[in-house]
Amino acid sequence: MWQRETFKKIKQIPSEEHVFPGTSLCAGCGGLESLRLAAKVLGDDVLYVNAAGCFTMLAAYPFTPFKGSWLYTTMGSAPAGAQGVRDALDVLIAKGRLPKEEDLKVVVLGGDGSTYDMALSSTSGALYRGLDFYYFCYDNEAYGNTGMQLSSSTPYGARTATSPCSLQHPAGTIQEKKDIFEIWRAHTPPYIATVAPRYPLDLEEKFARAAKFTGPKLFLALSACPTGWLYDPGETPEVARLAVETGLWPLKEAINGQVTHTYIPKLKPVEDYLKLQGRFRHLFEPTRQDEAIRHIQERVDAYWKRVSG
Amino acid sequence: MLAIRFHGRGGQGAKTASRILGTAAFLEGFVAQDSPIYGAERRGAPVAAFTRIAREPIRERGIVAHPNLVVVADASLIGDPAARVLQGVGEKTVVFVNSPLSAEQFRAETSLPGRLTTLDLTEIVVQHFGKRGAISALLGAVAGRLVGLRQGSIHEAIARELAELGLATSDIERNQAVAHQSYETVQPVAIETGVPQPIVPAQLQAPMYEPPTRGTARISAAANSVLRETGGWRTFRPVLVPDKCNGCWLCFVYCPDGVISMTKDDKPVIDYDHCKGCQICVHECPTDALVAEREKGGGVAWRAK
Repeated sequence: MWQRETFKKIKQIPSEEHVFPGTSLCAGCGGLESLRLAAKVLGDDVLYVNAAGCFTMLAAYPFTPFKGSWLYTTMGSAPAGAQGVRDALDVLIAKGRLPKEEDLKVVVLGGDGSTYDMALSSTSGALYRGLDFYYFCYDNEAYGNTGMQLSSSTPYGARTATSPCSLQHPAGTIQEKKDIFEIWRAHTPPYIATVAPRYPLDLEEKFARAAKFTGPKLFLALSACPTGWLYDPGETPEVARLAVETGLWPLKEAINGQVTHTYIPKLKPVEDYLKLQGRFRHLFEPTRQDEAIRHIQERVDAYWKRVSG
Repeated sequence: MLAIRFHGRGGQGAKTASRILGTAAFLEGFVAQDSPIYGAERRGAPVAAFTRIAREPIRERGIVAHPNLVVVADASLIGDPAARVLQGVGEKTVVFVNSPLSAEQFRAETSLPGRLTTLDLTEIVVQHFGKRGAISALLGAVAGRLVGLRQGSIHEAIARELAELGLATSDIERNQAVAHQSYETVQPVAIETGVPQPIVPAQLQAPMYEPPTRGTARISAAANSVLRETGGWRTFRPVLVPDKCNGCWLCFVYCPDGVISMTKDDKPVIDYDHCKGCQICVHECPTDALVAEREKGGGVAWRAK
């Protein structure tokens, strides 16, 4: 049974902020909520390597919400950028030009378009080389910054700008969401975890646990997205909660490839989650697409049967 | 030609309103053109969209710099220099503002130029739907009334445009009902088209290229984003009812922007200069100690310092 060691109570969450307000990210952004909580453990001595995406808007020139550093890269090259930064820091420390206590954590910020599609090969390279860095993927299941186009993280049945409902494909997206967790795990990095903003203690605990490892530490953060998933911004935590409670977003970690589920949901019907969001509305109106809903449910059930059996 | 400019906050429906107006004009046999500003259309951030209506083919393209009608979906935009609501607004321009104030009250508070008319569309939506929501159909209907389009074509345009967004038939019908009400209630102001202004082509500058050491944008400050206030994004604000608060910290934990801090005796303090009004704290408060209140007071609800 997985147990939290550091973060047992809500009031243990540090009150000091490390991601400051004034960014132009959407009101109710689930990705920002996760990053803000993560930064409470990461602190200020961080160099963020930001792949182009929604988080581009974090440090919109000439403003930055961080006390630490921020380097902007293309969508495909953030892990390569992280390698360069890590090497530069190591060389400076080895030559005595940077005191060891001024070392920085290198943290890649990438959306799902970057993580699942464009930066997959450079991530694989960084994992292969055992780069000592964090990877924080804010996953809102589509290319959000450009208007919600299909990414390989978009789940079956979601409607996006480039996978609309059509006569041929009434359910919208026909592809299944890529299992990036397993792709990462095949490289056996020391630490991988999934997190969701509605489970702050689970999130904080995982970042605290990751800090003990040298090498790649990867995080997949559910970024419930009012703008793209089409629900009221105030419902972000509720959407994130139902993603977890329906079993669609398993909270888990993998230490050196060994998977542990950190929270066992009661597996509510997936419908409860789908119904809240406009991107799935066509599954219920004007006619109910029972087959598509059943398909999503069966995949969730099969997952939990596999991992618990 | 009539040129109409819509200003709203991302999520309010300014872009859809421009499409509803364009489609309605098209249905009546006019030539119509509609387009939003391309950019980051973020929830709460200022956005703009344009519609042009004419009897002849429209040669003009791009943003509307000299509007005949400006439709403002959120009064707080007027005080926001980034939104440029007043750009090209002269004495003859008709300005519609979604506000609980009357046109006279609003003019007294803001000394806004142009010929003003107001109606509280947000209140109509809150009353009919029981919660906040997009007001695209209402904005489209009001604009349609002011430019003199028929109610039937607005009705049909709303059906077409909202169906394209994937709205259910029942939701479309409810939107048509509130649009009908807005069409009937708004105080019309005659639009004078006047003498058409000659269009001056924009002067384009050839881009300059610099070596990366000079040409790369560098920020040498720490956490200076707080200089940028996002408080004006709100249409509703969270307000604490201190007696009900049990000091659980959940509002502080769930706030994406980190604008809630806790006092020593566990009471939340909200930084209204930066709160974007997402209402996560209101939704998550277990004791209903946080309530959403409509930003009141028309144009002076908030101003960039």
